[in-house]
Amino acid sequence: MFAKGSRIATVVMVLAVAAACSGTSTAKNSPSGSAASNATLNYNVTSQVMIGWDPSTGYSNEIIAMNNMYEQLTRYNPDTKQVDPLLATKWESSADGLTWTFTIRSGVRFHTGRTMTADDVKASIDRTMQLNGGAAYIWGPVKSIDAPSADTVVFTLKYPSPMDLIASADYAAYIFDTKAAGNQDLAKWFEAGHEAGTGPYQLDQWNKGQETELRLKAFPDYWDGWNGSHYARYIFSVTPEATTAAQLLRSGQATIVERMTPQLWQTFQNQDGFTTTDDASWQTLLAMLNTSSGPLADVNVRQAVASAIDYQGMMAALHGGAEQISGYVPPGLWGHSDNLPNPTYDVQHAQDLLQKAGYGPSGKPMDLTLTYTQGDADEQLVGQLMKADLAKLNINVDVRGLAWPAQWSMAKSSNPADRQDILLFYWWPDYADPYSWFINLFHTEPKPFFNLSYYSNPQLDKMIDDVETVAATNRDQAVGDYQQMQTMLLQDMPAISLYTQVYQKAMQSSVGGFIENPAYPNVVFGYDVQPTG
Amino acid sequence: MTKYVARRVALAILVVAGVVVLTFVIARVVPGDPAASWAGPHVSRAELARVRHDLGLDLPLPEQIGRYFAGVAGGDWGTSIHTHQPVLSDLMDRAPASIELVTVAMLIALVVGIPLGLISAKWPGRASDGIIRVAAVLGVSMPAFWLALILQLLFFQRLHLLPVAGQYDPNLDYTHPLTQYTRMVVVDALITGNWIVLRSAIAHLILPALVIASYPVGVITRMVRASVLDTVGEDHVRMVRALGFPERSVFGRFALKLSLNPVIAVVALVFAYSLANTFLVEAVFDWPGLGSYAANAISALDTPAIVGVTLFIAVVYVVLNLAVDLVQAYLDPRIRLR
Amino acid sequence: MIEDAFARGGTRPLAQAGLAIRRNPLIAVGGALALLIVVVAILAPAIATHPGDAYTAAHPTQTLLAPSSEHWFGTDQLGRDVYSRVVYGARVSPLIAFLVLVIACLVGIPLGIAAGYFGGVIDDVLMRITDVFLAFPALLLALAFAAVLKPSAGNTTLAIALTWWPWYTRLIRGQAASVAGRQYVEAAKALGVPHRRILFKHILPNSITPLIVQVSLDVSAVILTASALSFLGLGAQDPTPDWGLMVSQGQSYFTTQWWLVTFPGAAILLTAVAFNLLGDGLRDVLDPRRVPNR
Repeated sequence: MFAKGSRIATVVMVLAVAAACSGTSTAKNSPSGSAASNATLNYNVTSQVMIGWDPSTGYSNEIIAMNNMYEQLTRYNPDTKQVDPLLATKWESSADGLTWTFTIRSGVRFHTGRTMTADDVKASIDRTMQLNGGAAYIWGPVKSIDAPSADTVVFTLKYPSPMDLIASADYAAYIFDTKAAGNQDLAKWFEAGHEAGTGPYQLDQWNKGQETELRLKAFPDYWDGWNGSHYARYIFSVTPEATTAAQLLRSGQATIVERMTPQLWQTFQNQDGFTTTDDASWQTLLAMLNTSSGPLADVNVRQAVASAIDYQGMMAALHGGAEQISGYVPPGLWGHSDNLPNPTYDVQHAQDLLQKAGYGPSGKPMDLTLTYTQGDADEQLVGQLMKADLAKLNINVDVRGLAWPAQWSMAKSSNPADRQDILLFYWWPDYADPYSWFINLFHTEPKPFFNLSYYSNPQLDKMIDDVETVAATNRDQAVGDYQQMQTMLLQDMPAISLYTQVYQKAMQSSVGGFIENPAYPNVVFGYDVQPTG
Repeated sequence: MTKYVARRVALAILVVAGVVVLTFVIARVVPGDPAASWAGPHVSRAELARVRHDLGLDLPLPEQIGRYFAGVAGGDWGTSIHTHQPVLSDLMDRAPASIELVTVAMLIALVVGIPLGLISAKWPGRASDGIIRVAAVLGVSMPAFWLALILQLLFFQRLHLLPVAGQYDPNLDYTHPLTQYTRMVVVDALITGNWIVLRSAIAHLILPALVIASYPVGVITRMVRASVLDTVGEDHVRMVRALGFPERSVFGRFALKLSLNPVIAVVALVFAYSLANTFLVEAVFDWPGLGSYAANAISALDTPAIVGVTLFIAVVYVVLNLAVDLVQAYLDPRIRLR
Repeated sequence: MIEDAFARGGTRPLAQAGLAIRRNPLIAVGGALALLIVVVAILAPAIATHPGDAYTAAHPTQTLLAPSSEHWFGTDQLGRDVYSRVVYGARVSPLIAFLVLVIACLVGIPLGIAAGYFGGVIDDVLMRITDVFLAFPALLLALAFAAVLKPSAGNTTLAIALTWWPWYTRLIRGQAASVAGRQYVEAAKALGVPHRRILFKHILPNSITPLIVQVSLDVSAVILTASALSFLGLGAQDPTPDWGLMVSQGQSYFTTQWWLVTFPGAAILLTAVAFNLLGDGLRDVLDPRRVPNR
């Protein structure tokens, strides 16, 4: 199993959510079969796409393809900051927030040919909850699911939660044909490279490990229909090297490039034939500090490290690829606050703090180990910059790039002495809610999983346990709670929130209809962009 | 001849067996605790014991080697960590693209290297000789990965010529689908008469092939030059010359023929060297061969895949050597007596 | 490496060096370049304009600057001066090459002598072992070793040395075998002269010349191999100013910031050319069969 941290996700590409749900009426329910134009969307990404094939447990890069083959009940709309209908046409919750009733869209076909019913919705989510892999935790509030009629699904909850938002999650919320495998084992059938979604594109060919890894084609019976204005084919090609990706775009082989360096991206700015976009994402880079062992167990040392980093310099060195962040919740997501006691670059302050602990230029030298995910140029750069900043304070940092599984297992080591002191990794929410950072990164864990600061604060735990119930009924109060929690964290400094990534992408100018949707990192919704000209 | 062949083949088998043992040493002995490196740096004791058992590391060493041999011979080369596929099937998927690339590079090297070597040897000490010798030294001194980047910079970025990544334009799969027989795109396009794909494939092949060819060009030029100069000095060539044969005939017919033997041998060796060089070049050009497979395996610390590629190329090397020796023995009976 | 396996010739004393240099001015060029690299390596702190940038340093507001009078070769992604790092790089891969060749000789020569002098079973076993090692292209075997070791400059050295020793074993064995068969050595043996004495008095001195030629030719090959390993991420790690590593790290920027890749790569090329020319020259001088005498 790969965790989300394994994704070297740097650029999110999310498009025209509006079109999926809006009334571009000509597009609706046109005679099926006549696919689209003859155009091909070639989406060039940095690493292997299909890590797993199971829509219940997939928790890695495969979502960029799965979101084109599968659909959720709802989809987050970054403009309205609400969710829009997708496979559900409407929904309502009881006054206490414990019962949610979704009306299921009629006339939706799976790629297997069967027509989707409320039973399929129940069966899909039941399976995801039962397998309990990947991001299945999002369904934690659910006590039971019922399908009282062919178009109605009722969720009964253990405690109030925003079910409409949860149902829009980028992972673990897909609806699929649970009968697709017939008598065979469904999990094995998926892993052999099959899909059973309702999405606009269906699997054409999968060439594992090859540069042209995945080919999708328009699903003729897609419920929203085809009117000739869409891409008929959707290719995912894998190019790890940014320079090569840029060259593929320039030569016209690639339609959209997931990620390149800011310098390469700039070469496409104001260039005829190309469009560039840059939007702040919800992907935050965190430096998790080891609060359980080593020098960083001392809060003064952690604060010193946080004050020793030249944040503005870091932004300059990233050349527009990142934006400094206030607190841990990124801007654009509810719960974000610009008024927080954020650390600032203050070498003198850092020295004073270190001196208290006996370290610093006049004290004993400190040795720290920093791990980052090998292959991520930004993380490597940040690690090198931190090393140089801390070297001035008589702190020697051993910067180690490790493949994510190795980095993660080192972090989870049962012997605290074997763990790293600083770990760089990205975090982003599984649905449009700040909860993910707090429950995953900062809630006490008996055995470390994603709380890789090994941080434990009972007072904070209590607030995290209560906040989603509050959020389901009183959003304003929840915003205040999140502000308070972030203030507590910044005082204890279990993790330095370094920046949010800016997604810089370049594409052929023939691609029409882009909107960034930070709730679906790296996803290009093929149905929502059009080939023009 | 039969005796020679038998002896030579036996020797090759012995070497291959040794190669397998050496790769075993690399995979299982050098890493210290291979179970730990297999399972990741920090796993529980029980997990480690399970991995150790699964890998057969709890067995006595001779038995481990025996099992490893049986696996390699039986086609079980382990499972790649980064593709989750059997290593051997990965290699079979990837090999044709690399063989195609290296073959074209070798053809370039022969077509360029032999004439350069001859010109150089024909008038030793002249300016042409000097220039060619410097060029040959540049060829063998060239860091391939650097040349790959520089050529991309020149041909694509500055001159906007020649594509830089992949085997051919993947969009052609829809307009001009290619039926694959050999998985070598140029060959398949030729067989099926798919001229559009052929054109695209050749354009994609030029830059990576030139980069791979740089080392062989240098080696072959130097070999031809040295070998011709040697041969021209030998008694029978002097004799031919003394008998009044025209200089062109002396040079072209006698000296060249005799000096081709070492060139044949060096070509086979350089072929395997170039297969290893693809590790540095294919990733730069996004070429879907053994080299980019190996480069990915290296960055994923995928030991089974790395060892698999190593073993594969070593076997190719041994087999090529054997083939060269047998061909030479067939052509030149004196060799059999050695 | 390969071609040398075919072109190893007999020995002859260093006699006509001056003549050879005049005939083949490339030796002089190679020698001068090699000397230059050694001098740069030794005097790096004086030659570099920003010696502080050679190792841990970052100037985040001065990253990726184009070459200028301040930064002759521009700056890298951390704002470090590329010229200074290239200069310090002369201390990395050339040193690796030196160490590899020393280790390879220390291992290879005794084994070669043992095989050639004593012959018999020792010879057979050693030669079959070298056959196996030589069945791999050097880069490939070094890479396999390096891949299972933790990447560092030290382990790169070890990995290449493990790959290189058989060449010297083979070379020395050939020399030793031919010397051991000569009458005066046979006579010495018959007179009961100790093995050690025969080895040091007769066999080793006779093997030195071809060894020198081979080692000088191998410097380039080792530097190229070490750079290739660094390029693949299996060699020295940042902040070591290793040329191959610098090319590798500059790869993402090379179309927009050409200087990151161009200068360190050119340094590798220059060094390899220098030692190849020098090695060629030495071979021409010491092995007259190669001298272009017509």
